[in-house]
Amino acid sequence: MILTSANILQTKKIVEYKGLVTGESLIGSNIYKDLFSGVRDVVAGRTSQYEEELQKARNIALKIMEEKAESLGANAIVGLKISYDNLGGTMGNTILVTAYGTAVKAE
Amino acid sequence: MNFREREVKIAYIREAILCISIGTLTGLVVYQLFLYFKIAIFGWNFGLIFAPLIAGYVETILANRIIGENIGAISAFILFAYTTIYSFILKNPSLGFNLITIGSFAVILQAAFPTAVNFIIITVGFGTLSYLLGIFKRITTYFYNKLEYVYYKYILKKPYIIKIETVEPFDEKRSNEVINKLDFYFITETGVLDKKFINLGQFHATVIVEKDKRLIHTKQEHIELTTLNNLKNAKDKCLIKLAKNVKYAGGNGVINLKIEYGLIGLGGDSYQITAMGMGIYIK
Repeated sequence: MILTSANILQTKKIVEYKGLVTGESLIGSNIYKDLFSGVRDVVAGRTSQYEEELQKARNIALKIMEEKAESLGANAIVGLKISYDNLGGTMGNTILVTAYGTAVKAE
Repeated sequence: MNFREREVKIAYIREAILCISIGTLTGLVVYQLFLYFKIAIFGWNFGLIFAPLIAGYVETILANRIIGENIGAISAFILFAYTTIYSFILKNPSLGFNLITIGSFAVILQAAFPTAVNFIIITVGFGTLSYLLGIFKRITTYFYNKLEYVYYKYILKKPYIIKIETVEPFDEKRSNEVINKLDFYFITETGVLDKKFINLGQFHATVIVEKDKRLIHTKQEHIELTTLNNLKNAKDKCLIKLAKNVKYAGGNGVINLKIEYGLIGLGGDSYQITAMGMGIYIK
């Protein structure tokens, strides 16, 4: 599966549009993380952990999207967009990660 | 600054100083009267509050009459400083800076800058409250679940049956089929192969979903799963709505499609999903 945010594939030619594929995932947060996030801010552990969580969430979203594209018979996704939206929650920790793109068949 | 402007400014300052000094004098007289007649409750003189208030009031009325605008109740500050130093530090040093002084300072500030102070009180007060409630909800839910478990195990001696409803996983496959069998092109980029198309203009579709508001008997993870499922359903609805809009205008696809998620409503109690793109007709 080739993923690209551009609308062309350098070595291959887009033959057919297969449709829109989307994937979403949510970073929740748990009580301990929230209560001790202030402490971890001081010792600088929070950022790396949140980066990991974000990466995990992004991978889930991309995986859902790729599975959908495969079921449509596509072998590439062009015009890929990934966005991160804050959905509030306690201390604004609920983050929605969305990935969507156009599934295409390329040769 | 030319001569004329300078003259006007000097006159303004002179009038302002006049208002402030009259206000301060009135305040001092009122304070002395309060002290002389001993208008006090539990040894606390009412002059502490009323003298600055009256000073500020007199000054503001005078300023409105003479200059035509409010100059910020400066005499109230002066009187406040005077009364605090006189009564709390010179006369009764054991009291010092206490809650009453803080309270009267807040009252004076509120009189001087009503909009700013009210804004701070409302944003800081309500912000802190909602912040704390958010945490407390988590904590109380956590302890509620733990306590219920203990209650079942040791008091009822029954196996603990989790009453939390399970959240069904979202049917991604079906959703994918629904979206891609609409006989409609959803394209997230701008090129459309080599086909020619007619531009029909920008199209929007918005769907608003409310947050789940049940308080207890739902685990945090379940709330999040339900939220995610609701958002996915709303996104499908939104795309179908967009397709309907474009089809109504005679098109059969959108290019440069964008899907945006956001929080709306008081305290962010609803989610808004917007899909937008350029409606086209592909031959």
